[in-house]
Amino acid sequence: GKVPASSILASAPSDKNLDTWRESGCRTTHCNLEVLQESTLVFLATKPHVLPGVLQEIRPAVGPHHVIVSLAAGITLQTLQRLLPSGTKVLRLMPNLPCVVQAGAMVFARGSSAGDEEAALLKSLLSSCGLCEEVPESYINIHTGLSGSGVAYVYLFAEALAEGAVKMGMPGGLASRIAAQTLLGAAKMMLETGEHPAKLRGDVCTPGGTTIHALHQLEKGALRATVMNAVEAATNRACDMAKD
Amino acid sequence: VNFTVSNKDTVKSSDVLFLAVKPPIIPFILEEVGPDIEARHIVVSCAAGVTISSIEKKLSTFCPTPKVIRCMTNTPVIVREGATVYATGTHADVEDGKLLEQLMASVGFCTEVEEDLIDAVTGLSGSGPAYAFTALDALADGGVKMGLPRRLAVRLGAQALLGAAKMLLESEQHPGQLKDNVCSPGGATIHALHFLESGGFRSLLINAVEASCIRTRELQHLADQEKISPAAIKKTLLDKVKLESPSLSVASASKVSLFTNKS
Repeated sequence: GKVPASSILASAPSDKNLDTWRESGCRTTHCNLEVLQESTLVFLATKPHVLPGVLQEIRPAVGPHHVIVSLAAGITLQTLQRLLPSGTKVLRLMPNLPCVVQAGAMVFARGSSAGDEEAALLKSLLSSCGLCEEVPESYINIHTGLSGSGVAYVYLFAEALAEGAVKMGMPGGLASRIAAQTLLGAAKMMLETGEHPAKLRGDVCTPGGTTIHALHQLEKGALRATVMNAVEAATNRACDMAKD
Repeated sequence: VNFTVSNKDTVKSSDVLFLAVKPPIIPFILEEVGPDIEARHIVVSCAAGVTISSIEKKLSTFCPTPKVIRCMTNTPVIVREGATVYATGTHADVEDGKLLEQLMASVGFCTEVEEDLIDAVTGLSGSGPAYAFTALDALADGGVKMGLPRRLAVRLGAQALLGAAKMLLESEQHPGQLKDNVCSPGGATIHALHFLESGGFRSLLINAVEASCIRTRELQHLADQEKISPAAIKKTLLDKVKLESPSLSVASASKVSLFTNKS
């Protein structure tokens, strides 16, 4: 993205996680404290249950110049700020999987000591991985339900589309690729035209044609409600997990 | 408005004839008034499922080039908010269509369509008011359940639908967008909509329009095949009328309400 690889230092307990970083040209280490000493902007990308321990470890090395960004699901800004020196600039980030292909959807929330500058820095850096928006912390769990888990809903839908095509006689590999491209194209149209999806849907439906017949089937299956249920379930689960 | 019990008189003194009888009676009316139809007459049929070609066929034995227009309207014409479509027959001119359009536009929305769409229109706006009445009854029940007096609940429900319809008609926006505009995040409305979606609300409405349209086509098909003999239909209907209003004469059992060009 926007930062030269040599300016990036990655730390992990074992080498297996560090190979990818090294391949991109980044420097690596096994020492978390070294990262704090060498860098201003620090991303914490551990599993949630490991994070408190890591915070204890790095706390002595954290200073007012540092910008700490946590990606740990369910760990609130309040917790992060409690475990770090007071006044530390902390932000919380929730990405989604397609960041790896630069088509991610990310939201972040700032802690009490993080200011406009830090927010702008983060947004600017991450925009190279996709869509990045600042939100109130309360939206982060919703983002999980919508987009974090949402990616899986799309995979499910794509699989089903392809299966329908296979049933009608198309080979699976081709059906899968076309299904993916269809989703990509539709999403692109939504993002680029900014039009309401209901309008875009109407534009595809010629009277008495194939599309409206198919949509009727989807409505009969209460697809909309089911999807709403899914987003709600994932969001609620994210909230519950955060409390644990 | 002039009244008469004589169909013949009405035809003689009018230019535009509205046939507002039930579909099975149309053939008898056409037989009766056929001889008096002249080139100037415009015959407008509002009978569901009765095709232009069937009317033209019947009239052509009396008049070589009968002007026929088929229309489909709905009950809210009573309050001047009707939804009317019309299709012009082989010999009807553009001005004839426009005349009808002008007449019907005074009681609501009116537009021309291809005849093959009229069944779909029946399913949507012909039957539509019934769907709305059902919805309003249920909405009022909801209001009553949550504590509103029935009259107020009905009044508010009806006004809500009226207002929403007006907003849609006056707006460029898609109904989906207008819906979104009402749904504040995590609010009451989106919770309610989730219920509607879970119940398959949308598909129920699609099903309803489809069912009404298909049934209209079925009825038309049955009529075309003339499975029941016209004489049998006539007898059944006359018997029914005799039962319901013994004082009426047989001649007025078939009603034609007419509208003159001159008023």
